[in-house]
Amino acid sequence: MNAAAQAVTIIMVEDDEGHARLIEKNIRRAGVHNEIVPFTDGTSALEYLFGKDGSGQVSAGRGLLILLDLNLPDMTGVDILAKVKANPHTRRSPVVVLTTTDDQREIQRCYDLGANVYITKPVNYEAFANAIRQLGLFFAVMQVPEID
Amino acid sequence: MPITSTAFARTTVLLLLAGALALFGIVAASLWLVERTNAYTEEVIAAQQTRAATSGLLTLMQYAETGQRGYLITQEAAYLEPYELARSRVPEQLGRLRALFAGHPAELATLDEIGGKVDAKMAELAESIALVQAGRTAEAVELVRTDRGKAVMDSLRDDLRELILRIDGGIRAAVDGTRSTADALSWAVILGALLIAALAGGSVWISFRYTRDLVAARQEVQELNFSLEERVADRTADLARANDEIQRFAYIVSHDLRAPLVNVMGFTSELEVCLATLQRYVETTEAAPSVEAEQAAEARLAAFEDLPEALRFIRSSTTRMDRLINAILKLSREGRRTLTAERIDMGAVLETAAASVQHQLQAGDGTITVEKPVPNIQSDRLAVEQVFGNLVDNAVKYLDPARPGRIVIRGREEGGRLVYEVEDNGRGIAPQDHERIFELFRRSGPQDRPGEGIGLAHVRTLARRLGGDVTVDSALGRGTIFRVILPRRADGPAARPVAAA
Repeated sequence: MNAAAQAVTIIMVEDDEGHARLIEKNIRRAGVHNEIVPFTDGTSALEYLFGKDGSGQVSAGRGLLILLDLNLPDMTGVDILAKVKANPHTRRSPVVVLTTTDDQREIQRCYDLGANVYITKPVNYEAFANAIRQLGLFFAVMQVPEID
Repeated sequence: MPITSTAFARTTVLLLLAGALALFGIVAASLWLVERTNAYTEEVIAAQQTRAATSGLLTLMQYAETGQRGYLITQEAAYLEPYELARSRVPEQLGRLRALFAGHPAELATLDEIGGKVDAKMAELAESIALVQAGRTAEAVELVRTDRGKAVMDSLRDDLRELILRIDGGIRAAVDGTRSTADALSWAVILGALLIAALAGGSVWISFRYTRDLVAARQEVQELNFSLEERVADRTADLARANDEIQRFAYIVSHDLRAPLVNVMGFTSELEVCLATLQRYVETTEAAPSVEAEQAAEARLAAFEDLPEALRFIRSSTTRMDRLINAILKLSREGRRTLTAERIDMGAVLETAAASVQHQLQAGDGTITVEKPVPNIQSDRLAVEQVFGNLVDNAVKYLDPARPGRIVIRGREEGGRLVYEVEDNGRGIAPQDHERIFELFRRSGPQDRPGEGIGLAHVRTLARRLGGDVTVDSALGRGTIFRVILPRRADGPAARPVAAA
């Protein structure tokens, strides 16, 4: 097992590149230096997570933390969440839902499907930056299991 | 062509009138014809009496002659009986005939002639009988043999027979007349019956057509009614759908507008961070001898004035936009919230609303009072609280600083609905703005108070969702009354959530 495989990779599924950049900046400010792999649509993110065959075998040996936006151009983040939590390889990877929706039913649905954290993006930028920085601090102390 | 009711009434009345006339004609004709028949019958009866009297006279004359002959042969008084009978009756019979022929002068003349012949015959008979009684039988026979009596008798008989024949002609004519009047009567009745039948048929046909038209019209009305109900239901469904879409649209728009706004605000912050770095650099380098004074001044202007100004504008605009989007989002959430009706102590709700602004009022010597009692309501508590909270806030916000504020809240029942009033003596609202103030982001009067123009839009949305409405009554410079009209029980369809979340 090499060192690169042990390092946790943050998968960021966020269709808004500006948001992605701001999230990355603030996570970095919290002192998190893990690799961040951004995806702006669901299809390419799923391909990365489950491989071309869709089996999830490709993620074996990876340590993944998934940051997920629910409003994606090609699918809803809920679909990705369901697939991640249903796949035997990826189901233990922590998923942080970071989205603008604060609809109670949507939040319940995400937790029902196995989301680990649900964060509503604050509209106000100060609050937004603050929330992401705290999330980064949380990441710094979090244990992420390696995928079998 | 459809028959109008007036035309129908007119035609029916005309037909009935024509029928009545026809009936009247038949009755009149029948009466007249019966009268004629009676006249003919009487004529026949009279003629028959005349005929009987005439033949009676002939019989009497023959009796007389028979009696004379018998007596002449036998000279026995018993054979004179027929003669005696005839002699006593003849004048009477002649008198009767004269009476019967009273209206016929020609026949009376004939009767005079007949009377002469009767007298002559009777005289001849009397003479011969007198000769027998005197015992001069041969002379009497000789008298008979002269044929004087026979000639008179023959002529008399002919006359009477002629008369009878004439009477018979009259009787035939009268009978013919009776028959022809009977025929005329039956024709009149048949024609009248046909006419009445035609009129009745006509009116039946018209009634039938009119009834058919009426039935068709009624059916049409029913169909229209039915399709009208369908159309109303369709429109209502359309409206509900449209309302639903608007709510969803507002939610999506406000929601999705926030995402780019986060970027604008985020990168503005990033720019500010960069600016700070830049400003530090400018400050440390501008004193360096290698830098031209002009360049240094330009850099300073950019770093300390132009850049901060641009960022300030971007920030203030995005902050405002953020507030507006949040307002829309709030309204749309309010529209999606499920309302639950419960019994609300309105006195307490209004007191709470009043108490929340009490400290603001005290600074300007103002007062706020709730005129009790106020009617209680069964409605959604949060919505009702928000309605009156907003109205009270508004009243306080727009008080006239020139006079102490007086705010009064009262409620009453009016026509089965509840009317609550929030009255103030504030600066008032210009008439042209009375409707505008309920629109989103619209405000009235000098824009010298904080606010986004959301409160009243919110109040109206809530009031309408509760099945009521809010109206304003205001005079510029004198004050304003907001009237909230609510149903006693908010359990109608309006209380249901507008859109399923």
